[in-house]
Amino acid sequence: MAHKPDTLKRRTTLTLPADSLLRAQKIANSRRVNLSTVIAEVIAAGLQFESAKQRTDQILDNYRKAFSGFSADEQAILDGVMLEPAATHRPRRPK
Amino acid sequence: MIDPAAGPFLFDTSAEGWLARKDNRDAATWLRRYLRLHAIAVSAITVTERVRGYSILWRRSVPEVRTRIEAARVAYLNQLGLVRVLPVDSAVAVVAGEIIALVAEPPTPPRRSHRLAESRQDRLVRWRFDGLIAATALVAGMPLIHNNAADFEAIRSAIERTPERFPDLGPLELIRCSLLA
Repeated sequence: MAHKPDTLKRRTTLTLPADSLLRAQKIANSRRVNLSTVIAEVIAAGLQFESAKQRTDQILDNYRKAFSGFSADEQAILDGVMLEPAATHRPRRPK
Repeated sequence: MIDPAAGPFLFDTSAEGWLARKDNRDAATWLRRYLRLHAIAVSAITVTERVRGYSILWRRSVPEVRTRIEAARVAYLNQLGLVRVLPVDSAVAVVAGEIIALVAEPPTPPRRSHRLAESRQDRLVRWRFDGLIAATALVAGMPLIHNNAADFEAIRSAIERTPERFPDLGPLELIRCSLLA
């Protein structure tokens, strides 16, 4: 039977800070799950956070490129205010 | 200060530009906190206003400047894949029609700067775009962040005076950019 990619698991060896490992083990004991489950959840949350951070950086970078280097009048035009050279009214010559 | 957790908000064209350009650490920090929790949401009308703006600047520019404007436009278009663009669907169109009929004339005159001026026709177009953006916020049930108090406060007041024309909607919640950070 074919496995779904997201259910595949691999065994590996990690070197982790002892205090973090101890805290993870306590959480695993309190929830009656194994240590791997807790570590997997922590990694998933960390990856999600990193992905959100990258996305935020990308959005801010795009905004910087999209809006910088324009004069105040040009910025107004980008904000939907269609400024055009004002018509100059010359006084009529008397006949 | 408005808590980013109170979102999601709809960002008016003026607000998106204000936040993107604001050279203020507090505003940048607010935007970072907001983006951790929610996507930026804008109306499809904001996209229209923005792309129209890039196009007009490009047409008015000399060829050397056009490259820079085109690069900015491409950065903006790339951004559209990362933000949430709310469409003008039938519900938005109906509500916008009510708003535009209710307040037919813009509450302020066309904008002027030192040597440039907005035509009456373009002012009316911008006013109707504001009506569509306000309608998008109402239908989505999202507070609208703006940097254009004159227009949106007029729309909010008009909706409050005739709630029967907006059943099961409203009030229009407005947040000024200056309150963000």
